[in-house]
Amino acid sequence: MDWLEPFRYSFMVDAMLIGALVGTVCAVLSCYLVLKGWSLMGDAISHAVLPGVVGAYLLGLPLAVGAFVTGLLCATATGWVKANTRIKEDTVMGIIFTGLFALGLVMFTKVQTDVHLNHILFGNILGIERSSKIQTLVAAILTLAIVLTLRRDLLLYCFDPTHARTIGLNTQVLYYLLLALLAGTIVAALQAVGILLVVAMLITPGCIAHLLTDRFDRMLIVAALSSIFSCVAGVYVSFFLDAAPGASMVLVQALLFALAFVFAPRHGLIASRRVRG
Amino acid sequence: MMDSLLVPFQYEYMVKAILLSGLIGAVCAFLSCFITLKGWSLMGDALSHAIVPGVAVASIFGLPFSLGAFVAGLLAAVGMGWVKHRSRLREDAVIGVVFTTWFALGVLLLSVFPSSINLRTIVFGNILGISDQDIVQVVCIAGLSLGVLLVKWRDLLVYCFDASHARSLGMNTTFLHFLLLALLSATAVAAMQTVGAVLVVAMLVTPGATAYLLTDRFGRMIILATGMGLFCGIAGAYASYFLDGSTGGCIVVLQTCLFLIALVLAPKHGLLAARARRREARAVAGALAPSMPKGPQPPSSSLSA
Amino acid sequence: MSDDSTPLSIEVTDVTVAYTNGNVALRDTTFSLHSGTVCALVGVNGSGKSTLFKVIMGFLKPAKGTVSIGGRPVKEAQKRNLVAYVPQSEEVDWTFPVSVWDVVMMGRYGSMNFLRIPREEDRRIVKESLERVGMSEFKDRQIGELSGGQKKRVFLARALAQRGRIMLLDEPFTGVDVKTETAIIDLLEELREDGHIILVSTHNLGSVPEFCDRVVLVNRTVLASGPTAQIFTEENLAKAFGGVLRHFKFDHTDLPGSARNEVLLLSDDERPLLLGHDGAPKRSGVGTKTGPLVEDSRK
Repeated sequence: MDWLEPFRYSFMVDAMLIGALVGTVCAVLSCYLVLKGWSLMGDAISHAVLPGVVGAYLLGLPLAVGAFVTGLLCATATGWVKANTRIKEDTVMGIIFTGLFALGLVMFTKVQTDVHLNHILFGNILGIERSSKIQTLVAAILTLAIVLTLRRDLLLYCFDPTHARTIGLNTQVLYYLLLALLAGTIVAALQAVGILLVVAMLITPGCIAHLLTDRFDRMLIVAALSSIFSCVAGVYVSFFLDAAPGASMVLVQALLFALAFVFAPRHGLIASRRVRG
Repeated sequence: MMDSLLVPFQYEYMVKAILLSGLIGAVCAFLSCFITLKGWSLMGDALSHAIVPGVAVASIFGLPFSLGAFVAGLLAAVGMGWVKHRSRLREDAVIGVVFTTWFALGVLLLSVFPSSINLRTIVFGNILGISDQDIVQVVCIAGLSLGVLLVKWRDLLVYCFDASHARSLGMNTTFLHFLLLALLSATAVAAMQTVGAVLVVAMLVTPGATAYLLTDRFGRMIILATGMGLFCGIAGAYASYFLDGSTGGCIVVLQTCLFLIALVLAPKHGLLAARARRREARAVAGALAPSMPKGPQPPSSSLSA
Repeated sequence: MSDDSTPLSIEVTDVTVAYTNGNVALRDTTFSLHSGTVCALVGVNGSGKSTLFKVIMGFLKPAKGTVSIGGRPVKEAQKRNLVAYVPQSEEVDWTFPVSVWDVVMMGRYGSMNFLRIPREEDRRIVKESLERVGMSEFKDRQIGELSGGQKKRVFLARALAQRGRIMLLDEPFTGVDVKTETAIIDLLEELREDGHIILVSTHNLGSVPEFCDRVVLVNRTVLASGPTAQIFTEENLAKAFGGVLRHFKFDHTDLPGSARNEVLLLSDDERPLLLGHDGAPKRSGVGTKTGPLVEDSRK
């Protein structure tokens, strides 16, 4: 077997590069989501993207725009319903995102599109078209730039919103900004891993990093590196297994998580067992 | 006109689908009362995704799919509990990591070993094409779950409300915890056939939340939710015939619509009722202190908390 | 459920509790309580009060030592519904769709059949319990619609309905009006007369001598336990509260004549307001450092 064979195909190399970029954006966002306890939010927004994609197709808009809009709609609707009723936030989120997803599904079966449902759901990293590639690049780079510029404000907001407010930060803006960034990330990752698996990319890298380090800046770096590695390795492995690349990426990431969970120097299973004696 | 409305009932597969959807809708709705109050929506979502690799493995080895799905769901639940207990990560993050891993494993298995079960079927359900053998499995699971819920609902209620008290009464709370998880897995397995793995969580959350808006008594909440689950299952499956759309999608859209109606119109906890109360309060306050500034205060950012 | 023939007691012997992260919450804790007592469990936040509760209820297994209730293991006491628990208000989900009646009825579940269908006797007991705490007229209210004091009384009624002869109350006086506080204290005294054991965790030092005949002082272990009069000394309190305790120094001129030379005020978290003869507020010299608790004014 030729170990370098995957690199001879341009679609494989492209897939690895896009995977690495998307992985970086997702990893950076995941650090915030994990600390803020927003894992379900990532899950919800990613599902809510579906009707936006179908709607955008109907209106002839770029799919990314529609996806972004319904993603944000889900998040804001959740916040609004939660503020106005006594229902728990996670329940509200569950209702709204499934409602939107189901709506997307019904729309999809009624509308003849040339978009493959499987590509939206599970990604199509090996066959991304040029126009989608540009959308992905723009969304990823824009999101990454904003997060890295405002990373300290966002961190403060996640850690202690009340304090952030007292020192004059506009927490309302930060809240919506974080949601918008999340939606942007999901749009960027849509083509690579699809909406059903993107939530893994939005949770696992942050968890790996949180197990390995106690400093936020280092956490960002560790998360990004682990995510880049998993995306590249996942695509590479999928070539030989003839498996779904999105799923392979997520599973490589899960493997890294398992390693970190067991062997992390201070917070790992072995280390904490030693402490207890 | 009348005739065309009755058309779906002329097809045996439609009648089966309608009845089965109603049954599964009702069982899921019963359970949803506990899930919404316990704050386990994410758990419901997680388990419904986590059963996918079980289905894949079962189809590869030719085992009954429900067995594989149920085992995979329980394994995921136990895995979550263990990782949560042994690491410093937040519960929601741990649930997220475990279920996405499990789901990805299922997708990978199905892509590497193409088998009789299509990924689309698992993710979106295929109640219209369900085999008789699967119907038997689903009916058994749903019936058993319903039976357990009817017998044990009061214990589960006490456990959800105040686990410490349940323990001081001598109840085995570990058992109740796993019972709830097992019921969740079982109903997720049953519901996967109707609405698919992705939308199962709607069946496990929406009816309970809708009923919660309508009443303050748990007994009534169960009745309302179950009735709504039954109705939406039947009506959604029926409507899907005319819409020629996905059955699961129709059922869940219908449930969401009912939720939205309750959200606006519920007698005590609805938005309109709340607005009327606010207006009344403002009128009283206005009468007492006419110099008070007009208009409601902007809501504080409770979202961001 | 309770079997009156067994002598009632709680014996905590040499108990050490460690959490999974290796922190020791309680070390070599020993004390015992017998029938007919209201005992205060006093200590700062994080001193292990709630851990001790959890051990007595059997939620935590001690790493070392034993807890026995009426001479039997905790597990058995649990089965016989012996220990009732009144939670802190923050632990309860007040939006839960249950009424006052439902909550009190939950106290009876331990002695009902498999299906938990209430019998006539259960209804009677729930009714009595509600009457005893003066909450009968609210029985159909959803629990979130009650005031702080009413909420507390509902959970007390649940403990009564449970017929547990040992009651654990976690900070029962926080967020409670004066009327409820007196009502709770009266009720606890009645229960003591009936031979119950009541363990009240509190950091409200002032009310302890008022209704508790015994005190257990904890700070990661039991510092002292016994009759209130013997245990509630400055020396012991200084040990339990260390630097956290505030003490107040009085200027002679601020004090009413008869009280002069006799007043020492201890408080762990609240500053008392002092009023002079003229009704004008006085400043009390407050020190929060550890120091001699015996003030100059007492000489």
